[in-house]
Amino acid sequence: MLEELKTLCSLMGVSGREKKVRDYIISQVDGCAEYSVDALGNLLVFKQGRNRAANKVMLAAHMDEVGLIITYVTDDGFLKFAPVGSVDIKVLLGRSVIIGDNTFGVVGVKPVHLLKPDEKKQIPEKDSLYIDIGAKSKDEALKSVQIGDVAHFNSDYIEFGDGLIKARALDDRAGCAVMIEMIKNEQPYDLNFAFTVQEEVGLRGAKTAAYNICPDYAIVIETTTAADIAGVEGHKRVCCLGAGAAISFMDKATVYDKELYDLAFEVAAKNNIKIQPKTAVAGGNDAGAIHNSNGGVKTLTASTPCRYIHSPSCVLKKDDLNETLRLVNAVAAEFASR
Amino acid sequence: MEHLNSLIFSLCSQFGVSGFEKDISGFAVSRLSDYMDVKTDNLGNVIGELDGGGIHILLDAHMDQKGLFVTAVEDNGFLRVASCGGMDIRVLAAHEVIVWGKKPVLGVVPSTPPHLVKEEDSKKATDISEISIDIGMSKDNALKLVKPGDRITLKSPQFKMLGNFVCSPAIDNRAGVCAILRCLEILKDKKLNCRLTVLLSVQEETTGSGAKTGGFSIQADEAVSVDVSFAGAPEIPTEKTGEAGKGTMIGISPALDYAISRKLEKIARAQGIKYQLEVMGSKTGTNADHIQNAGKGAKTALLSIPIRNMHTACEVISLEDIESTAQLMAAYILERGVKRDA
Repeated sequence: MLEELKTLCSLMGVSGREKKVRDYIISQVDGCAEYSVDALGNLLVFKQGRNRAANKVMLAAHMDEVGLIITYVTDDGFLKFAPVGSVDIKVLLGRSVIIGDNTFGVVGVKPVHLLKPDEKKQIPEKDSLYIDIGAKSKDEALKSVQIGDVAHFNSDYIEFGDGLIKARALDDRAGCAVMIEMIKNEQPYDLNFAFTVQEEVGLRGAKTAAYNICPDYAIVIETTTAADIAGVEGHKRVCCLGAGAAISFMDKATVYDKELYDLAFEVAAKNNIKIQPKTAVAGGNDAGAIHNSNGGVKTLTASTPCRYIHSPSCVLKKDDLNETLRLVNAVAAEFASR
Repeated sequence: MEHLNSLIFSLCSQFGVSGFEKDISGFAVSRLSDYMDVKTDNLGNVIGELDGGGIHILLDAHMDQKGLFVTAVEDNGFLRVASCGGMDIRVLAAHEVIVWGKKPVLGVVPSTPPHLVKEEDSKKATDISEISIDIGMSKDNALKLVKPGDRITLKSPQFKMLGNFVCSPAIDNRAGVCAILRCLEILKDKKLNCRLTVLLSVQEETTGSGAKTGGFSIQADEAVSVDVSFAGAPEIPTEKTGEAGKGTMIGISPALDYAISRKLEKIARAQGIKYQLEVMGSKTGTNADHIQNAGKGAKTALLSIPIRNMHTACEVISLEDIESTAQLMAAYILERGVKRDA
């Protein structure tokens, strides 16, 4: 699973441009399952199990990542951009990005020496930011970059610390890696998988994926903010690295089915899987679109805790990813057979 | 330019935060030894000497980079830090770092998730004193590798941009070191009629101690210090900056020797070396300030390489500006080194 995750994190897949991620996933699941791609670009995979499922279960993880889109090129060759998805301006300043396939750039900042004292601690306004690619003119820039190109963070996959991974786009390539692992292995029951597009710009892919699959139950496999950093205590940590999959009772897009929420903890206890509640009503994910789809779908979200999410340096723990995989395997079989 | 590109990337890959310049110093010694006799002094300055007789000219560039210190290892294994040189705190959120402990250790500066940030604080950068770096380890494991006093640098990839622009951490001031090495390469087969000393100095980003003591012990007649200076970019008034790619910046300041500044300009114009003037109303904020009045004093000039995003890990320069800086220094030395007191 880690090899796949590493490759997934090397691929560019800003919302609306998920093709490279999708093509790689297809290369991994081809021969293990049936698949199709819908009009929006969702990759829908049917994995036949040893037994027919009593209920149709859909598992979902999104392929897209947050990034930037180039909106304008200035006369002196600098690129203006808009964020794609929710990107904290703070994590862009003085940071390297890759535009399209291979144009390297930097989000420029005014040198600190030229700032007024009150500006030195002030994050600049979003509209003042630009990307520098070393072009001397608009014409030179336009030879390498087109208006409408997307850019992503320039950040490698690195294992570090006590079993941790640092990479960009762990949200939600981690979920994709878990699903690839499930598809590659034999399953007790038939399962439907949706690798969705455009989650970061409003859960857009999941809406049609859920319509197309029309499931009875859904499990969204995600990453979620872990704020277990120095100076943050108690419930404000949301979830902690090393404590297993985080289960949501409510977020900004979904009030989760209480029965499924409780069931996840029961299944975890029975199978000795590490699990934790997500202790904040924050964020939102594809569950928001899926539970409202068709005539309504009972939905669960299981997330791998991830620090510094939506930044170039997302951090998660390998053990948590494994616990998420174990939990989703067990819960999916439970849903399919009940 | 390929050769300059690989040299600047090698120089920028060396670790050398102010006061702990061992790695960059070792690298500099090996490169400088191709051209001159090299020694190091008590503070760690690397000094190269080539005695052709005649006027004594000093070329200086600082080789240290700014960074952070570890001040404490917290119970949860996170590291408390302090600045070592002027950091731009606005760029630190979610930045990768390397902690130079018993071995290099990867870390991340936490960025506080939006749900924990009060509306009025959302546009504020976090003070260094409130930062604690995540190295993903328990305190016990952290203490096996890291201790207070260890230096930390911001980590970022090196890459080529369009034209001759390149991006890397630590270009401030490995670009200056690179320009001096390139100058020596240009001079390699030339007969020098001067005594040439090169000072690759330590601790510029903190106190300027390297230039103060190096300038004192070298006691040259004339000195040219090389550093980086502001290049134009959006949102910055053009009158406050030079332009990247438009040539070396010849400093003019009350604290610099006016005659040498103008002489550099004259040579550049005569030889078609790209240059621009950087006029300052007071001290320069570089090693030139210290070398000028060290010991008996030296007539001092300043050449600057225009840089974008100064004091971030993504500093951007044009290799052409390193080249023009090197060419101008070399031309100056060849012209100046004819006879003493000319």
